[in-house]
Amino acid sequence: MTTLQQTVKGDVFLVDDDVAVRRGVAALLTAADYHVTVFKSAEEFLSALNSLDRARAVLLVDVCMPGIQGLELQERLKEQGVELPCVVMTAHGDIPMAVRAMRNGATDFLEKPFTVDEVTAALDRALTLPQEIAIAPHRLPAEWPENLAKLTPRELEVFRGIVDGATNKEIARTLDVSPRTIEVHRHKIMLKMNADSFAELVRMAVALNVDGH
Amino acid sequence: MRPPELEDFDGTLTEQILQTVDTPVVILGPDGAIVRFNEASERLTGYSIDEAIGRKVWNFLIVDEEIDAVRSVFEKTRGEDTPTHFTNYWKTKDGRRRVLEWSNKTIHNDEGEVAYILATGVDITETQSTEFELSETQSYLQSIIDASPVAIITINEQGLIQSFSSEAEECFGYMKADVIGSNVNILMPEPDHSLHNQYIDAYLKTGKKRIINRARTVIAKRRNGDIFPAVLHITEFTDGERIFVGFVEDVTQQKTLERRLESTQLQLQHAGRIGAMGEIATSIAHELNQPLTAAASLAGAVSLTLKKADCPACKDAMPLLDDAVSEIRRASEIIRQMREFLRKRKTAKSLHNVNKVVEEASAIALIGAQTEGVKLTTDFESGIGEAQMDRIQIQQVIINLIRNAVDAMKESSEKRLTISTAKNADFIEIRVEDTGSGITAEMEKRLFEPFATSKKGGMGIGLSISRSIIDAHQGEIAAINKESLGSMFSIKLPTGNYDDAATDRKG
Repeated sequence: MTTLQQTVKGDVFLVDDDVAVRRGVAALLTAADYHVTVFKSAEEFLSALNSLDRARAVLLVDVCMPGIQGLELQERLKEQGVELPCVVMTAHGDIPMAVRAMRNGATDFLEKPFTVDEVTAALDRALTLPQEIAIAPHRLPAEWPENLAKLTPRELEVFRGIVDGATNKEIARTLDVSPRTIEVHRHKIMLKMNADSFAELVRMAVALNVDGH
Repeated sequence: MRPPELEDFDGTLTEQILQTVDTPVVILGPDGAIVRFNEASERLTGYSIDEAIGRKVWNFLIVDEEIDAVRSVFEKTRGEDTPTHFTNYWKTKDGRRRVLEWSNKTIHNDEGEVAYILATGVDITETQSTEFELSETQSYLQSIIDASPVAIITINEQGLIQSFSSEAEECFGYMKADVIGSNVNILMPEPDHSLHNQYIDAYLKTGKKRIINRARTVIAKRRNGDIFPAVLHITEFTDGERIFVGFVEDVTQQKTLERRLESTQLQLQHAGRIGAMGEIATSIAHELNQPLTAAASLAGAVSLTLKKADCPACKDAMPLLDDAVSEIRRASEIIRQMREFLRKRKTAKSLHNVNKVVEEASAIALIGAQTEGVKLTTDFESGIGEAQMDRIQIQQVIINLIRNAVDAMKESSEKRLTISTAKNADFIEIRVEDTGSGITAEMEKRLFEPFATSKKGGMGIGLSISRSIIDAHQGEIAAINKESLGSMFSIKLPTGNYDDAATDRKG
């Protein structure tokens, strides 16, 4: 992966313990004009860290790996003062893990398996936005808090449930309403928050500290 | 040939016979009044002739309860020519009772009218009392049999019912009279119903005891067709012919208890299975998601490459690749739903007595376990009280630990299982200790991870589920190798008070 292509959009440091995933995702991102360097573990990435050009780079890391896991890698980078935007890959539906990663400073999360559009959107945002935006309240897009204020108390409850990783059914049971009602709430929340995707909604929730952590 | 007629000498002969026979003879007038009362009658009753003559028998010799019967026999005798026979009591002058067997004959005068009734008695008091004693013994036995909480049924070699106790009536719903003489197979459902005669025949031919003298659980049938579990014990004795005595105990109640235990077990197993499936599903979801991610990414890469190539054929191929990716996503979605479905239910906690929970779990864990040679020591801290828990889940953990402990001691020469409970200010501890093979250094790190197992045929699921359960209880589960032989597993649960407060705060 040393040949830089002319139209390269940036460096992607891909960390995943699964060889097939590394090969597939690397092929995809290369075809999508990123320059990809692969690492089979967080340890390998950390030891190579100093030799990497991180000027326009993003870390794409699986949160669930043997040894040092994705979240711990984020923390170690923070401790070392390494400013590197980070997109985490989670198992499909593992929202609590995604929320933790976002709170840890990840700019985005991707649920495996993902499409070309999803991954490129997440990487591009990470490459173009300053990293702090996701967590620094004073640099939040102004409409986010405004949108949040539009939510009814019940919608806010549902919003918290969602980003806690609860299923519709579980939220329904907790709030003693039908799962269908929760679906309706969920749809309204997406609309009111003006979120394009669930990932964006989670990003908003983390930035706005919706769940009170 | 007619015997020659005897000269009566004005009744002297008759009188002599009357007085010398050693058996009471009484002659009554047509109204029942005594006209003759012989010496034997005097001796028997203590009444003199003078005291007796002219009195009606039922006015002084007959016991109160038999007066009516005696009078009706008297009327009957008076109306017929044929002799009548009757057994009744005589009341002696000093109040004793004698049993007399009477032959009564009516004597007519020349006009054909009833002149006298001649009653000749035999004192059978002594013989009778032997019989009475016998029947008293029998009724004593019968009363024991009838008081027995176990149904007692006797049958002969043909399988026909000879006796049927009160409890048998109660138990099977038949009255004695309904079943005496019936084949005992009416008390059994198929296949025994049809085979019972063969069972008896086989035993009579071979002498091989399949069921005799050993209790076994059978299914019996009530009159209304209901079947019920019964413990049957059969003995035999010979009384002229061979008699089989069956003792039948309805164990429906016992079975109900066992079933209840069984259903608890099933519930636990179910919880275990769901837990195991949840655990497996999570692992599969992860394992399968990786190749799906790789496949989707490769397809995406191909799609992007074709886009750049800008050839007509490539344009046709690209939507197909998009379809491939969406199918891969669908597969991933199915796995996700499966995992969601099997995800461990939220724990349903309530207050439970810790020792009771542990005790019950121990009993269940040891059912059907290979516990030969295993010595069990329990050390339950008294007054440990209650703790907030999902009982089924916690018991599942305990059962799992106990079964593991028993398994671990399979090869041990000393098999000591120790189950204990203890309490301090912050937590309640439940310990399961064994003298088994212990935990290898290699296993120690991965002990609570799914699919980590050192057991042959083990799934490596039990301890990972146990940990998730204990986690959900804000508790801790840990394992150590003991300094002596074996390992010790410890579960720590927050004490009831602490958890109550936490729950309250959460509202």
